[in-house]
Amino acid sequence: MDFDLENPLTHLHQLHSDDASLFLTESDHMLSPSYLHTLLTSPSDFAVRRDTIYFISQCCSNSNIDPHLSYLAVNYLDRFFSFQGMPQPKPWVLRLLAVSCVSLAAKMKQIEHNLSDFQGSEGFIFDPQTVHRMEVLILGALKWRMRSITPFSFIPFFSSLFKLRDPPLLQALKGRATEIIFIAQNGIELLEFKASVIAAAALLSAAHELFPIQYPCFRKAIINCSYVKKVNTPGSTLMLKRNLICV
Amino acid sequence: MEKYEKLEKVGEGTYGKVYKAKDKETGQLVALKKTRLEMDEEGVPPTALREVSLLQLLSQSLYVVRLLCVEHVHHHKSGKPLLYLVFEYLDTDLKKYIDSHRKGPNPRPLPSSLVQSFLFQLCKGVAHCHSHGVLHRDLKPQNLLLDQGKGVLKIADLGLGRAFTVPLKSYTHEIVTLWYRAPEVLLGSTHYSTAVDMWSVGCIFAEMVRRQALFPGDSEFQQLLHIFRLLGTPSEKQWPGVSSLRDWHVYPQWEPQNLTRAVPSLEPEGVDLLSVTAKGQSPADHTSYQDSLSY
Repeated sequence: MDFDLENPLTHLHQLHSDDASLFLTESDHMLSPSYLHTLLTSPSDFAVRRDTIYFISQCCSNSNIDPHLSYLAVNYLDRFFSFQGMPQPKPWVLRLLAVSCVSLAAKMKQIEHNLSDFQGSEGFIFDPQTVHRMEVLILGALKWRMRSITPFSFIPFFSSLFKLRDPPLLQALKGRATEIIFIAQNGIELLEFKASVIAAAALLSAAHELFPIQYPCFRKAIINCSYVKKVNTPGSTLMLKRNLICV
Repeated sequence: MEKYEKLEKVGEGTYGKVYKAKDKETGQLVALKKTRLEMDEEGVPPTALREVSLLQLLSQSLYVVRLLCVEHVHHHKSGKPLLYLVFEYLDTDLKKYIDSHRKGPNPRPLPSSLVQSFLFQLCKGVAHCHSHGVLHRDLKPQNLLLDQGKGVLKIADLGLGRAFTVPLKSYTHEIVTLWYRAPEVLLGSTHYSTAVDMWSVGCIFAEMVRRQALFPGDSEFQQLLHIFRLLGTPSEKQWPGVSSLRDWHVYPQWEPQNLTRAVPSLEPEGVDLLSVTAKGQSPADHTSYQDSLSY
């Protein structure tokens, strides 16, 4: 058995029911209800999130950077806002947050980098000490839980339920589901859901597009999965039943 | 760190001092593990970041000592950054527990139901780490903390600095014990896996029954002699490639002994389980926790 310290969750599908601690752990990575509420009710807070995500995408646009990097950075950002509350909507604060989240994500993903890779030539350039102080602040707020449980952690498990025998088809399905998850992160509609539920819904959406004939069968497999039943809330069932993520 | 009142130093872990302390507000006892954080031009080092967050993820298990929080502070004199890992405090460990049944006023065997329960909890904890892609690599009775009142066993000293190498010496240059180390590690194999932890589990199981270590070697060479004397010297046929491992030497040719002699008080089912754990010694043959859990 190969061990992958980067992606330690690849063996999830081999686990027995009571060992699937990932499904239990994911609640520690949920956002607070008050954060979700403020995004829905306060246009200025909504704009702060939107603008900072835009800055993160700018930080990651310099070269061929893995899209998972910005995904992880936005995940840190949401969890930081959720814990710390919304900051002053000053552009330099938001840019500093963006650079620091990307820098932390790059360290976790072991991407060789220089801070200057993430700071464009225009606008604010922060010196390393400032970014490092911000990093420490973010680490404290996130309690050093930097191995975020994201929907990607659950894709191998749920796609194994589909019993697709043809590897290229399975690849296509995972690829489309991954795209859906990336796009959906920019919106706020899915923030209330657990990572596993988002993964399941993204796979179902992808299956609906790519394999409409097998879709009902996939849907049944997911809805009947014991973990999904366990983590279910009325909202997530509804999302899964309605199928979901429109992008 | 004003939140905590240091009560006493309880040990020198492999990576730093460990203190027993009390949360001033709640009165909760905690174990404080102090580690230096080498900040350089890149800020918080990626290795520290990755290891501490892995510890956070693993400590969700009931069978792993819980990491309560992480405190990032600066040394009051030098201003150097320090990281305190705040763990739940457990009152004893398996080594002290076994010692108290061997020495002292009332030497007696460990109750067999307790041995069973500890072994089960140990296997659950090891399975949890392995399912997250993490090898412990230094399982030993000192690293298994006990809550005696509740009969709970938890794995401690996980993950830090272990991403790639097993340290031979701790930072204080104490020799790290070899007694629980698998033969493939002792022989210098660089490609080892979950089997190294299962080897240690087998040694710890035998030690709970015997109340003394199964293979108490004082050097790598002695350690291998202890193992081969009981289980037989491995041959190329039983373990292909063994004689080309980095630290292989020529050893006396021993035949495997009957394991019952090493653990005379163990019931046949227990001997059976132990022999599965030790079977053949070749890493491919070490048993898995699934087998052990099913006993």
